[in-house]
Amino acid sequence: MLNNIKFNLPTGYYEQQLISGLADQYIIKKERYHSEVISFYDTFDWRLFNKSLVLYESSRKLCLRELNKSEVIHSIEINSPPIFIWEFPYSELKNQLAPIIDVRALLRLFEVQSRSTHYHILNQDEKTVLRLSYEEIRSSRDRNSLPLATYLWLLPVKGYPKYYRGIAKRLQEAGLRISKEDTIYFKGLEAVNKKAGSYSTKVDIQLDPDMRADPATRSILKYLLRIIRINETEVEKDIDTEFVHDFRVAIRRTRSALGQIKYVFPSNITNRFKKNFSFLFNLSNELRDLDVYLLHEDRYKMRLPPSFRDDIHPLFDYLRKKRSKALQRLVRVIKSKKYTKILNDWEAFLNKPQTASPTATNAELHIIDLARNRTYKKYRDVVKTGSLIKGDIDDRMLHVLRIHCKKLRYLMEFFYSLFPPEKIESLIKQLRKLQDNLGIFNDLRIQEQYLLDITKELPAVEGQLNKTSMAIGGLVNTLSKEKRMVKDAFAEIFRDFSSTENKELFQELFTSQTPEVHNENIGHLQQ
Amino acid sequence: MKILAIYSNKGGVGKTAAAVNLSYLASQTGIKTLLCDLDPQGSATYYFRIKPKLKSGAKGLVKGGKKAYKNIKGTDYEKLDLLPADISLRNLDVTFNKLKRSKKRLKKILTPFKDEYDLIVLDCPVTISILAENIFNAVDHILVPMIPTTLSVRTHRQLLSFCKRKGYDTEKIHTFFSMVDMHKKMHKELVVSASTTFNNVLENVIPYLAQIENMGIHREPVAVSSPASAATKAYQGLWDRVQKIISTEKLKEEML
Repeated sequence: MLNNIKFNLPTGYYEQQLISGLADQYIIKKERYHSEVISFYDTFDWRLFNKSLVLYESSRKLCLRELNKSEVIHSIEINSPPIFIWEFPYSELKNQLAPIIDVRALLRLFEVQSRSTHYHILNQDEKTVLRLSYEEIRSSRDRNSLPLATYLWLLPVKGYPKYYRGIAKRLQEAGLRISKEDTIYFKGLEAVNKKAGSYSTKVDIQLDPDMRADPATRSILKYLLRIIRINETEVEKDIDTEFVHDFRVAIRRTRSALGQIKYVFPSNITNRFKKNFSFLFNLSNELRDLDVYLLHEDRYKMRLPPSFRDDIHPLFDYLRKKRSKALQRLVRVIKSKKYTKILNDWEAFLNKPQTASPTATNAELHIIDLARNRTYKKYRDVVKTGSLIKGDIDDRMLHVLRIHCKKLRYLMEFFYSLFPPEKIESLIKQLRKLQDNLGIFNDLRIQEQYLLDITKELPAVEGQLNKTSMAIGGLVNTLSKEKRMVKDAFAEIFRDFSSTENKELFQELFTSQTPEVHNENIGHLQQ
Repeated sequence: MKILAIYSNKGGVGKTAAAVNLSYLASQTGIKTLLCDLDPQGSATYYFRIKPKLKSGAKGLVKGGKKAYKNIKGTDYEKLDLLPADISLRNLDVTFNKLKRSKKRLKKILTPFKDEYDLIVLDCPVTISILAENIFNAVDHILVPMIPTTLSVRTHRQLLSFCKRKGYDTEKIHTFFSMVDMHKKMHKELVVSASTTFNNVLENVIPYLAQIENMGIHREPVAVSSPASAATKAYQGLWDRVQKIISTEKLKEEML
């Protein structure tokens, strides 16, 4: 099959000049020009761009294509662009996008104006044998403004390759170049001061193994601070739930880094900010819990027999109201003096040169050594705690294990760049499986308890409360059963994680030759 | 993907005009359409200004796969392609007859096109032999144009009894009146009576119109040469009805 070819037209190359150049050899029929606005979309964290995908809308059609390619993979007709995946009509486009964008909102990145004129190349029978399209793309409606790009498209007609090849060759001989880059995408972003992939929650810091532990830790923490700063301003807009989520995770990672990458800063600093970040983290607990309930509203309903599904509505209406208040509270805190002071002090500390401190005993270590020690120790904590969980499992122990796993995961992510990517990635993958099991269990446990508690809070509506309570009872029952199933799966998942093979890989990567300078002697100072 | 045959065991009833106009209207609604000109006379091919030539003739077509696919030509309209006719198609009956499973050959030829097209329209030659059986086996729906004359009605009866005898599902067959001149008493009466005599007679009527005859001069679907004409309206009405038949079928499939 012949593909469309897109030629870049250099500035100053005029439509008329181009067409009359071809008219000496071909019969050309001109059609009316056609104008349209093309809008481009992605999530705040560039999920589509990260998968080399481009989503755009023009003339009520939403299309997906690969970056640097013009062939449309899937398209759907729309009245207005959907924001969330659940607003998409059932389609292959939805199927492909669902796992990628998940719960994130689609934001309009930029729009461009496209003006194109179609030409038909005709044979002796006046049959169309090739289509040409001259397209100018601008960032504004002003036709006098300089186009972002000008293209000449060759759109082949099946069964007439000679004309297609002949004209393509002629244009190339005339010095035109085939456009292989996504000029419009990148230039369009540039025009609105955006840069593709500029935001990601993945800790993407290149550390040098031989650098001192304190500046290395600072660069990790500065990265996290940037994420906090970006999201704090977006939380109030309430575009989707993930701004709060990313905000929380960056705070929790900061708190965890302070606790886990030990003795690189003076103890008074570490202690103060550990407390501060715990405080900040707890501020959004309720909001996040409510977000999770509401995101899973449909899944909750599906857990109930159809006759009960309507009865659960009052619960979700109530949760929506609670969420709105919780969001307002969080926004108020983010604007408060206390919050501003914590973050400003923290930023000032991170930018200040390190001074020697008797309690920062690991500050001068090579980061690679500290990374190995800390990660291996946390791995040992996970294995030790997990091995104690046998027979009738204690819910609290699972919780302790979950926290250890989380700390281990953060350490591995902070220090990712110090280790061979395939090896550390394979361990993270194993750890993720264990974390998924523990995470689901924990969610179910909290949800079960929450539902039991909330029944008391629900405002009474004549005759309805009883039905709602029954529906909640039904939910609790299902959640309890699911919890049991997840718990039953734990033993095998943990066995896989603590396998000899994994242990050897952990030892290979994280067993350091240089032990930490510190420990028992100064440990009490940190208490 | 759906396959629709425009078929009649009687000549000169407006098969090609219907095939060309319905295919065009389908493609205009965004349906990726392939029109197969199975008639060695190649009138549909002519209407689209395409040369009536298959690279390896009917034999190449019968081999199917890439050989058949390579013959497809794009028309002047996006989303509408054509598999051209070839004079050698006059021997299609004989060619099929020599092969094993000779009545299901056409189905096999069309199967690879299913991925690319949403709708395949067959413009069929006059036949009631092995080629006709190939058509009945390959398609989801058969659309029969009928001129309201006694001979046409008689031919249609022959077709239905042939199908019954051979065990083909007559429910697939839909009929519409073509080249109707309501000034003629006989046409008027037969349109009424045949509608009750036969099942699946569509209400949409294609009148006898100069614009349709002029397709030979313009070599374009009537919706292109005279978009506001009565002919365009008539075919549009017919297409709307056919589309409903096709999508009802789709709905039934989804429900199963």
